[in-house]
Amino acid sequence: MDKNDQAAIGAVLAGDKDAYGALVVGHSARLFRVAFRITGNEADAEDVVQEAFLRGYRKLESFESRSDFGTWIYRIAVRCALNKISGQRMDENSRVGEESNRQQHEVQLADWAAGPERLVLSGEIGAMQEMAMSSLTPTERTAFVLRHIEDCTSEEIASALGIEPNAAKQAVFRAVQKLRRRLAILRVKI
Amino acid sequence: MNHLSEEELIAHAYAEDDSNAVQQHLLACAECAKAYSALGSDLADIKFAEAPPRDSAYGHRVWESLAGSLPAYEPRKSWFRRGLWPALSYAAAGIALVVCAFLGGRLWEHRHAQTIAQNHVQQHEPTVQQPPQRIVVVVLSDHLDRSERLLVELKHAEGGSVAFPLRDEARSLLEANQICRKNAKQDDDRALSTALDRLDHLLVELANQPDGLNTQTISRLQDEMNVDGLLFEVRVLRSRQAASSTHPKGDTI
Repeated sequence: MDKNDQAAIGAVLAGDKDAYGALVVGHSARLFRVAFRITGNEADAEDVVQEAFLRGYRKLESFESRSDFGTWIYRIAVRCALNKISGQRMDENSRVGEESNRQQHEVQLADWAAGPERLVLSGEIGAMQEMAMSSLTPTERTAFVLRHIEDCTSEEIASALGIEPNAAKQAVFRAVQKLRRRLAILRVKI
Repeated sequence: MNHLSEEELIAHAYAEDDSNAVQQHLLACAECAKAYSALGSDLADIKFAEAPPRDSAYGHRVWESLAGSLPAYEPRKSWFRRGLWPALSYAAAGIALVVCAFLGGRLWEHRHAQTIAQNHVQQHEPTVQQPPQRIVVVVLSDHLDRSERLLVELKHAEGGSVAFPLRDEARSLLEANQICRKNAKQDDDRALSTALDRLDHLLVELANQPDGLNTQTISRLQDEMNVDGLLFEVRVLRSRQAASSTHPKGDTI
């Protein structure tokens, strides 16, 4: 572990709260990046970063000094991001469930992720991909981001998500399969 | 030839399989190679928007937003202050436990040993009493009867064939006579006690004749011990005994 991180943790646990500031400053940018990739939203990513450092502070006594603080807080951030998008998905489902009008339901989905027509008009391939990403479950999305963007191994993904390595691998497989099929349909429509 | 599944192709793309075997298959199978190429193209097309850049002050802003809501940790006490009293308490409790266990063990051992000894004694009691305590019941009337017969034989004895039987009978009566004497003294029966004392002297004399009784010894004893008088006293005592009680009186050791 970074000696500076180790010293800062020791100081925090000794009662020097401000020492935690050095850890926050040192790891915020990386946490924001992964949080943004998982949530796809800047404001949500900032919330995730704050939540992760808050949880980290409360659990700091259980942190084992042999581990790397950066890895440890990264996993916490991934969990927070996963919880964030899971909560959003539940909110979306509940809002959809409240709607009795099928037409309204379809409109609401279109608002959440841009429709094909809008994609054609805007020509933003990123938006098209984001729509494909919306078909993934929170776990599949998070596992895919960690695998495809963050280049994490199945073991690291499993550790971050708190699941078995094989389950993490399966989540990545399902995510890739869904994305390929969804993107293939969108390409045809475009 | 079995083609590679999509899962196998994905695993190979992310280098999570037996790369060498899959690579060999891809070289040999054009169909799988085409599928793998398509997969690679799709994965390459999946690009996420870059995260908005954060300036160098971002970390400080995050910290400022958090700092106010974080309580400071209690300073860790030194081992001496934090752990001395609990450690001493545990040590004292441990020592007390050991002492109690030791004393309890000793007490238990002591009691257990006593119990074992008692059981041992009970188990071996018949052996200890192996010759069982001898119980001699001497019935005074019988004793007087036997003594009378001995005195009669002595009175009429002339030596020879009666010498050894008399001596043996005297030895046999001697012990019973002592018991009766003792009992008579305890009952403060002077007549009986006096008669039995005289009889005792006679029996001792008779019993201690290693070579038996010859004519001279018999004659001497008849004179010295006044066998006739003693015989009379014994007969009187027998009569008194028979009259006083229909039940024989017994002396027991």
